Amino acid sequence: MFKNLLQAFVSNARLRNGTIGVIVLLVLSMVPFFNAPPPHVELAAEALLEHGPKWFTNGLLTTLIVDLIIILLAVFAVSRMKEIPGAWQNIVEMMVEGMWNLTQSIAGHGSANSRKFFPWVITIFIFVLVSNYIGLLPGFGSIGIYHSPAESHAQAELGSQLAMVGGEAVAVAAAAEEGKPVLVPLFRSPSADLNMTLALALISVFMTQFFGVQALGMRYFTKYFKNPFKDGMGAVVGIFELIAEISKIISFSFRLFGNVFAGEVVLLVMAFLVTFLLPSIFYGLELFIGFIQALVFMLLTLAFFSMATVSHDDHH
Amino acid sequence: MEALDKLGISWQLLLSQIVNFGLLMVILQQLLYKPVLNMLEQRKQRIAEGLEQADKASSAAAEAEAEKQGILEEARREAQEVRAQATRDAERIAQDVRSRADQEAQDIRMKAQADAEAQTAAVMADARKQIADLAITATEQILGRELANQEEQERFVADYLAQQNGSGS
Repeated sequence: MFKNLLQAFVSNARLRNGTIGVIVLLVLSMVPFFNAPPPHVELAAEALLEHGPKWFTNGLLTTLIVDLIIILLAVFAVSRMKEIPGAWQNIVEMMVEGMWNLTQSIAGHGSANSRKFFPWVITIFIFVLVSNYIGLLPGFGSIGIYHSPAESHAQAELGSQLAMVGGEAVAVAAAAEEGKPVLVPLFRSPSADLNMTLALALISVFMTQFFGVQALGMRYFTKYFKNPFKDGMGAVVGIFELIAEISKIISFSFRLFGNVFAGEVVLLVMAFLVTFLLPSIFYGLELFIGFIQALVFMLLTLAFFSMATVSHDDHH
Repeated sequence: MEALDKLGISWQLLLSQIVNFGLLMVILQQLLYKPVLNMLEQRKQRIAEGLEQADKASSAAAEAEAEKQGILEEARREAQEVRAQATRDAERIAQDVRSRADQEAQDIRMKAQADAEAQTAAVMADARKQIADLAITATEQILGRELANQEEQERFVADYLAQQNGSGS
C-alpha cells in the first residue's frame, strides 16, 4: 500500500517536482540571507521628501498614479471603439455594462435615478478596486527613501504604541527601528490612506443627503427631525437616524482602510515569518478582499442613494 | 485633532482626495461611461435591427417558397390539361385516320371487285367470241371435208386439238 503510493509519487513528475519545490522553498526560508526585514508598519501616509512639503505623501503620489492608470486604460479601451469589440474593449464594456445592470437592478430599470447614481458608484468601484490592487504590486512598502530617525520621532512613538496592541512582530519592528534611519515607502495604496477612504465616505454620505433632498425636497429632513409633540417616538428614532448617518462616514472609511491596511500588514508579517510560500496564500486572499471591499463600498453607497430617494412617510 | 494627525488625516489631503475623485468621475463620465453605454445601446439597436431583418428575410423566403409552390402547381395542372387534350386530339386523329383508311380500303376493294368483274366479263366475252370463232372454223372445216369414218373422225379431232394446242397458246 505505502509502497504503491511511493511508486505513484515518484512516477508522477508534476507531483514530485512540486513537492521538492515546496520543500526547497521552505528550507530557503530558514536561511537568514533570504529573511525579510521586520515589517515597517505606519498607520499614516508619510511625507516623501524629508525636507519637502508635508502634503506630498506616498499616498497622494500613488493616488495620482492610480488616476493615470485608470484614465489610460479607459482611453485605451475607448479610443478605437468598434462595433465589433477587441479583447480589451470587450472587458471594459463587460465591466461597465455589469455595473450599469447592477445599478439598474437596485435603483430601478431605466429610471432617472439609475442614470444619476451610475457615475458615482461606478467611479467608486473602479477607483477603489484599482487602489486596492495597486497596493499588492511588488515594490509597495519595499521601495522607499531612508529618512533620518529624528524626523520620524512621532512615528516611532506611534510604532511603540502599536506594539502594545499589535503583538510581538510589531514590537520587534518598533524596537529595531529605534535610532536607525527609517524607510519611507515610495508608494502606498490609496485605500491604506485614511484621507482617501474618508474622502470617499464623505462623498458617499453627502451625496446621499443631496439625492435625498433632490428627490423629496425639504421633506427629506423629516427623516431626522420630527416634531416631538406630535410624534414623540418618531423624534427619538430620527435622532438615531442622524447618529447612524454620521457613523456611516466612520464605518465606510474605516472598513476599507482597515481591510486594505491590515491586508498589507498581514502580507508583511507573513513574509517576515516565512519568506516563501506563506505570503502567496495570503496574497490570494488579499486579491479576493480587494475586490469584495470595492464591491461593498459601491453597493452600500448605491443602496443608501436609493433609500434616500424613497419617502418614509408613505406608510402613514 | 492630534488623533487625526496621527492617523495621517489632514484637511488639505482630504480635500485633495475629494477633488481628485470629482475630477476622475467627470473625466471618466465623458471618456468612458458615455461612449461605452452609447456603444452598448447602438449595438443593441443594431442587433435588434439585424434580427428584424432576418425575420423579414425569412418571411420573404417563405412567401417566395409558397409562390414557387403555387406556380409549380399551376404548371403541373396545365401540363396535365395539355396532356389530356393531346391524348384526346390524338385519339380523334387516330379515329379519323382509321375511318379514312377503312373508307379507302373499302373503295379500293370495291374498285378491285369492279375491275375484276369487268375483266372477267371481258375475258368471258373474248372467250365466247373465240369459242364461236373456233366453232365456226371447225364447222367450216367439218363442212369442208368429208368425214368418212370413225377413224378419220377421231384423227381429225386429235389433229384439231393438237392444232389448237399449238396455235392457242
